[in-house]
Amino acid sequence: MTAVSQSLGRAPARPGTRAPRSSALRRFVRRRELLLVIITVAVFLITDAVNSGFGTGGYISFMLADAMPLAILAVGQTIVCLVRGIDLSVAGVLGMVAVSTGFLAQDHGASVWLMLPLALGMGIGLGVINGLFVVFARIPPIIVTLGTLIVYQGVQELICASRAVETLPPMYAKLGNDNFLPDIPYMLVPGVLVTVVVALILWRTAWGRSLYAVGSNAEAAFRAGIRVKWVLISAYTVCGMLAGLGGLAFLVHYDSADSQSGLSTSINLSSIAAALIGGTLLTGGKGGVVGSFIAALFLEVTIQAVIVLGVPQVWDQAAVGTLLLAAILVNRYQASGRSLSQALAGPLRSRWQPGHGGAQ
Amino acid sequence: MFSLVFILVVELLFFNFAVSSFWGGGWGSSVSMLGDGENFLFTSMIALGVMFVIFAGDIDLSVGAMSGFAGVMMAEFHLGGMNIWVAVVLAVAIAALIGLIQGLIITYFKLESLLVTLAGWFILQSAALAWEGAVPPYGFPKHFDSLLGTGTVAGTVPNQLVIFAILALLATLIVHRTRFGRQLVLVGHNRDAAGYAGVRVSVTRIRAFVLSATFAGIAGMCIAATYSTADDNLGPTLLLPAITAVVLGGVDIFGGAGLVPGVIVASFILGWLTPGLLQDGVSDTWASIAIGVLLLGSLTVKGITDRRQGVSMLDRLRARSATATPGAPPPAPDAT
Amino acid sequence: MTLTARRPKSHGALEASLDDAAQRPAVRYEARHITKAFGGALALSDVSVAFEPGEIHTLCGENGAGKSTLLKVMAGIHQPDDGEIVLGGETLHALTPRSAQLRGIYLVPQEPTLMANLSALENLFVGILPRGRLRFTVDWKQMERSAGEFFSQVGLEIDPREPASTLSIAQQQLLECARALAHRCNIIFFDEPTSPLTAREADVLFAVMRQLRERQFTLGFISHRLDEVLEISDRITVLRDSRLVTEMTAAGASRDAIVSAMVGHDIAQRQRPHREISTQPTVLELRGLSHPPEFSDVSFTVGRGEVVGLAGLVGSGRTEIAEAIFGLRPSQGTVLLDGKPFAHRSPHRSVVAGLIYLPEDRGHNGVFANVQLTRNITAAVIPKLQRAGPLLLPAEEREMAERAAERTRVVAPSLEAPMSSLSGGNQQRAMFSRWLLAQPRVAIFDEPTRGVDVGAKEDIYKIIDEISASGIAVLMISSELEELVFVCDRVIAIYEGRPVAEVVGDEITLERLGTLIVGEQAK
Repeated sequence: MTAVSQSLGRAPARPGTRAPRSSALRRFVRRRELLLVIITVAVFLITDAVNSGFGTGGYISFMLADAMPLAILAVGQTIVCLVRGIDLSVAGVLGMVAVSTGFLAQDHGASVWLMLPLALGMGIGLGVINGLFVVFARIPPIIVTLGTLIVYQGVQELICASRAVETLPPMYAKLGNDNFLPDIPYMLVPGVLVTVVVALILWRTAWGRSLYAVGSNAEAAFRAGIRVKWVLISAYTVCGMLAGLGGLAFLVHYDSADSQSGLSTSINLSSIAAALIGGTLLTGGKGGVVGSFIAALFLEVTIQAVIVLGVPQVWDQAAVGTLLLAAILVNRYQASGRSLSQALAGPLRSRWQPGHGGAQ
Repeated sequence: MFSLVFILVVELLFFNFAVSSFWGGGWGSSVSMLGDGENFLFTSMIALGVMFVIFAGDIDLSVGAMSGFAGVMMAEFHLGGMNIWVAVVLAVAIAALIGLIQGLIITYFKLESLLVTLAGWFILQSAALAWEGAVPPYGFPKHFDSLLGTGTVAGTVPNQLVIFAILALLATLIVHRTRFGRQLVLVGHNRDAAGYAGVRVSVTRIRAFVLSATFAGIAGMCIAATYSTADDNLGPTLLLPAITAVVLGGVDIFGGAGLVPGVIVASFILGWLTPGLLQDGVSDTWASIAIGVLLLGSLTVKGITDRRQGVSMLDRLRARSATATPGAPPPAPDAT
Repeated sequence: MTLTARRPKSHGALEASLDDAAQRPAVRYEARHITKAFGGALALSDVSVAFEPGEIHTLCGENGAGKSTLLKVMAGIHQPDDGEIVLGGETLHALTPRSAQLRGIYLVPQEPTLMANLSALENLFVGILPRGRLRFTVDWKQMERSAGEFFSQVGLEIDPREPASTLSIAQQQLLECARALAHRCNIIFFDEPTSPLTAREADVLFAVMRQLRERQFTLGFISHRLDEVLEISDRITVLRDSRLVTEMTAAGASRDAIVSAMVGHDIAQRQRPHREISTQPTVLELRGLSHPPEFSDVSFTVGRGEVVGLAGLVGSGRTEIAEAIFGLRPSQGTVLLDGKPFAHRSPHRSVVAGLIYLPEDRGHNGVFANVQLTRNITAAVIPKLQRAGPLLLPAEEREMAERAAERTRVVAPSLEAPMSSLSGGNQQRAMFSRWLLAQPRVAIFDEPTRGVDVGAKEDIYKIIDEISASGIAVLMISSELEELVFVCDRVIAIYEGRPVAEVVGDEITLERLGTLIVGEQAK
């Protein structure tokens, strides 16, 4: 018996039973994205009921814009999670790009559109470095991106050289905070665009599907002819690119940047949290960017709701933490294949059970 | 392990020649520089704690926030009228309790330690901020500040270094010379095989989380003493350097392999690196970049030597596919 | 094991229909004088087998006879040390799984290697996704259309969009068949597909195989179950101990002929020593141990110093029973140790109570590969190691391990060498010493000589004898009937999760066991 093959998860107790036929509608309804939208809207409505200032156009527009940098980062993080990796360096990339483009804008009046390819290019370069280390140096992704995070943050500080980006051409603030349609901020456009494009790529291109394949079972993917090394490197590259875009978005939204950008707002781990809450698994092969986008909005709305409802702002991180915990519990129940009623009946047994039960 | 000592020696030699004042004040000044290396000792204490968890094949991201929270807890107790030493003991005990809770959640619900401790980080961070309120508590008795913070023995050896030495000795003995340590390492090498051998895997893992939280709590006490205030800020930023020290020290992130002395040496390497470079006129930003480069470089070398020993890409793929969680140890390669 | 890392050419647009696979010319696929060894152990020795189109050619043999290895060599998963593989007259060199697929050869593995999170639909086409208008896009509609056809050809009635993890084992196998068809393969090998299947599910699979045979596919099949083999095969080849023993056509085949070829007439190599029927008190007793559908209603006893064997086919539930006793699996029913009920709830409890289990998959579940031999040996007795205060005494520990290693005659570069540097046989000996240190009352050994070369096997039988002689009750699971005959005082045959017979003393013969494990109740 080959020790190589991976068993496919628990087969149902009675062999021979047919897998239940489910209509497209039921499958849609079971999706995490829908659940998240419902919860987000619920939180929004409840908060609005308590404090009607919450539901004003201005506030909604603010929340949408505020969530975009995180959303863009979360999309990138999702791609890396799909191949069973993780990217802790996104905050570093974000910071580096934010200050680089920021200084160029501040000192030389560079326009946003000119900075866009620069941001993407920087992101690609920084992401490639991660990919190369993971694939060729055989270092686990968590350590690689930890190392590059340290380096990138250091470079960010060097670039700042005790200055900060404070005065940007007015174009930046306009794009960052104004609306182009009533209650719809400019900032929403890149976020939605990125999500839609990446979603399409993941769904409709061979490269996108190969991400899922490699994340599910890298060895089987290799046997099936997929170039696993290339897929891995490209995943980190794209994540870096999106982190670069996120950096530009960050700059535009906050209309400033300094050596602490990205470091202080815990955006790094929130991007991971958003990916997970959105239904992507850290173990790879499962998940999607639409969920991550909605999760970013969900986090934003929840945190703002927490503030508006009078809870001191300090608890916003705890809120993210609790939501994360809830999300991974839900992921776990879903993965174990139990029905809702079974899950409510009692937590999963705590007794240690081996990963490979004897295969007689 | 010897490569680490080698690196340390190289580093010391470098500083010896490059930095005139390194040995200038005699042996004493270089040692006290360790105390100057701002966060080195705190980082190292936290590193020792999280090391237990990493040995077992898990990870604990909450340690930084835990030290901050413990510091705030202790300060608030003290402000509320409690004797400071009682507050210290209580705070560390509660930190251990929180570690226990995290461990229970992880093993009982079979969740990934990365994610649970990530959530823990967020929650503790908030809790610390909330508790300390608008103004971080400050003003501890002098003897406290001195003993745990800035005081020295015989004028040269920082107290904290002594504390660290004690913790380091304890950690070394625990991992390499106790039954628990044996079980811990076996669980890290191969969780399934450990279970088949009758080791209580869940209990072992939970104990590791308790230790990690306790060490973080103690570090938090020292931080508070050093700055004479309990700020929630410093703790969280120490997480990454602490993990760096552990990994640089040769502990396998997947669990099992590694030596505690390696982590100790790595701590010293990192500890002297920043102040040494600073003395050399290098900004501390470059120092932190150097740390990142050192981490990546040393592990790349290790990765390349692995390849030479025949661990192929396919083996790695197999290991990655076969584990249930990213942080879990890969199954032992086919033995026949 | 090496895989050529060259990137295979991309497949281009997929024309998707069954006829397409049949359009590949029917070919003869043969192995000539194949020899293959793993480490020191010989798996195949000068084996030549030919698979003809329009035929189902079955390989029979005991565990370790080499059947699975042969198919894997022919599917590109292993490289032969010697010999050649010939496809329609053309010799194939450096075959890889991918290049084999491109040539129309597909191996349905023993355990399906699908991607759990992807839909069945996508699993079908991984690696050969049909492309859309733009070369890099994927044409889902085309996929769905074709998938429907492939699925119905293999009788798979599932919603193609459901993730593959929701499929039963039987369905996963059919999906693998469908994959073979989707890859336009007309040479399909089945590596022991029916072990995890019920009779009904196996019938479905056979129907598919017969269909493929009608279309002049070249089919290879491995099975232990002789009634199946006789039912489905056109040609039967029997391997034993890495060699080809005999080949027969369906017409000339009979159960007896196959069995005697499988077990060999030269049993005389090892005579079963006469053993007294034990009158020792019972140490381990099972009453009604059940966990359907893996096993049910299992009751038997093992006495002090007795060696009781569990015989059965792969998938008959023996390991599950052992795991349940040891506390790894939940189960109903009672386990009694020395007459007292034992709560078999966790491995830790079991070890503390003196009940130990040596698992089948030593590599994953037993050995700590990168840990030194000493620590591997003492792994089960850590709580009992000598201490000075709380601290362990490594010198004493080393001594203890050394003595234990001597008892089982472990040969190793040194006590501090990592376990992975030992041969399979020595690793197994080290495992035995681990458990001996634990001073158990009951020892369960699951496939104790798996992955162990012939010389070491004899030694292990001796060790088991010594163990039982010292009063330990031994329960031994083995798929090698010869072993059971040689070593056991009593053998219980398990078929589809239930004990069907108990054979005692001199009644234990290869023929008797051989018929019992396939469900025949011969008198």
